Amino acid sequence: MEANDTPPHVRLGLSRQRLIAGLRTMIASRETDDRLWLLNRQGRAHFVVTAAGHEATQLGCAWAIRVGHDYVVPYYRDMTLVMALGQSVLDILLHAMARRDDPSSGGRQMFGHYSSRRLRIVSGSSSVGSHLVHAAGLGLAFRARGEQGIAVMGLFGEGATAEGAWHEGMTIAGIHQLPVVFVCENNQYSISVPLHREVPVPDVAMKAAGYGMQGVVVDGNDVFAVYEAAHQAMERARNGGGPTLLECKTYRLRPHSSADDDRKYRSREEVESWRARDPIKRFEHYLVEHGIITNEEIEALRREVRAEVDAATDAAVAAPYPPVESIADHLYG
Amino acid sequence: MPVMTFIEAIRSALHDAMAADDRVMVLGEDVAVKGGVFLATEGLLARFGEHRVIDMPIAECGIVGAAIGASLHGLLPVAEIQFADYIYPAIDQILNEAARFRYRSNGDWSCPIVVRAPCGAGIHGALYHSQSVERLFTSTPGIKVVVPSTPFDAKGLLIAAIHDPDPVIFFEHKQLYRSVRGDVPEGIYREPIGKAAVRRSGSDMSVFSYGLMVHHSLTAAEELAAEGVDVEVIDLRTLAPLDRDAILASVKKTGRALIVHEDVLTGGIGGEIAALIAEHAFEYLDAPVRRLASPDLFATPFADPLEEYFMLNPQKIAAAMRDLARY
Repeated sequence: MEANDTPPHVRLGLSRQRLIAGLRTMIASRETDDRLWLLNRQGRAHFVVTAAGHEATQLGCAWAIRVGHDYVVPYYRDMTLVMALGQSVLDILLHAMARRDDPSSGGRQMFGHYSSRRLRIVSGSSSVGSHLVHAAGLGLAFRARGEQGIAVMGLFGEGATAEGAWHEGMTIAGIHQLPVVFVCENNQYSISVPLHREVPVPDVAMKAAGYGMQGVVVDGNDVFAVYEAAHQAMERARNGGGPTLLECKTYRLRPHSSADDDRKYRSREEVESWRARDPIKRFEHYLVEHGIITNEEIEALRREVRAEVDAATDAAVAAPYPPVESIADHLYG
Repeated sequence: MPVMTFIEAIRSALHDAMAADDRVMVLGEDVAVKGGVFLATEGLLARFGEHRVIDMPIAECGIVGAAIGASLHGLLPVAEIQFADYIYPAIDQILNEAARFRYRSNGDWSCPIVVRAPCGAGIHGALYHSQSVERLFTSTPGIKVVVPSTPFDAKGLLIAAIHDPDPVIFFEHKQLYRSVRGDVPEGIYREPIGKAAVRRSGSDMSVFSYGLMVHHSLTAAEELAAEGVDVEVIDLRTLAPLDRDAILASVKKTGRALIVHEDVLTGGIGGEIAALIAEHAFEYLDAPVRRLASPDLFATPFADPLEEYFMLNPQKIAAAMRDLARY
């Protein structure tokens, strides 16, 4: 053990209030995820892409972002992240059920395509990896404007690191030492293809060397490790220190999406072993152990979140679809 | 008013747009230190600095994608693809990303970029330095496709494209760069995107063309005039959105339509124009709509006789005009 046995939340300056808000976001994300699968089975949500298992990675990253100041270029798995940045359970459900008031797309995009100009969450397509060049371009924009103290976080799965657009985004960010933090949420599968068939090196972070940036590996199920690394990387970026590739090793606890059956490519033993390492349980255990919250308070929090999810479900189900007359709106400015 | 070549007009547009608005930036391969392989961006680096005039690695997806990203923060980026032939790696960024940002975010985001690309044959560029690829971009909404034919339009349309709220693909025919001259005003002015221009008024037939082929069509029209056929030549200038009103008004006046473009016949914009006329001006026609386009090949082959065979020229266009006049 290191001589410094200060608990990580103290060392990292995370207040009780922030920790509990973070736990609430994690729980809200998982409960919303649960609800979405149910709504999918009921035929009310045509598509679910899960965030379950990625909650610590995404919360740790969200804590490192100055909301509405830094840009975030997310991918389809980042539900916990966007909730931590300010999208509500209702926002998520309106998006999943393609309602008019879906803040991400007004019912146009399939679930998982989060966007908010106000929160500086950049709209994405489903074309994997295509968004990291946008992250690099934002970095060029700050430089052209002479703006400092601002950074971009671009997030993706490890599967995206095989894409040409990912390589080009990394190349441009590395050449110009742009203020971009590339976060790889490595859950070890691109749908069914295992890591050794999608990434030629043991750690995605090793790729960073080829792009002139630091590569960092953290346990993606440890919210403090993620936050510490993400915070350092974002601060380095904001202060002119250039880009970072941050790899968060994690696991998705559910099939890739509602259209996937993961029994064809993952053993139940493997899934169960990761379920035992559930990042939410781990965070709860830590908070209880350090006297931040009690188990009773966590249960109360969970009940409160469930009530919110119930109310949001009712509201989203009752919410109107976009009118057919709007189908061609916003094609041109 | 100064007389400029086409390439000087492009350069003038970039200089004036960057001087007038510090949101404008230029990025592409060889655009900074070298000033572009055709010198379209010459002098920009010295004047506006390396943060607004950026030499990019050979990464077309990255160049267009970075332009998109910069536009999200309010900049007005002008990306250069060195030759239209190399735009393919950027197609996902143009059609799947730039074109859709506004729509897919329900109007929250927009993507006001310009992608400039030198195009066209007749300069011994063979399969990969002479393509016309506009057909690949005219069937996806959300983007605009502009192909100027004169120095005046090149500057006015490029400045309009830079300030257009939507992504604009701006094709510049390489053969025009130094072969045409014209009056070009100093300073900022804009020509409207989406509006065709009547280059020669006539009563016997309408020719719809754009880019280099406008010049060849005008030469052919003079030949026909000597033979007593009065040809109207319409410069489309913008292929998306098409100026449908101008096309229909002209064909209703003349009763005959010939479409001339260097892009290939199959899938080229000529098919869309022919269909538009068939649907909305059929009763006005005195003859079938004709198309004159490059053969359905990838681009011109390298060998001189093959390139000569491939390229449209005033003689071929005049022959097509005669044929249509005789119908």
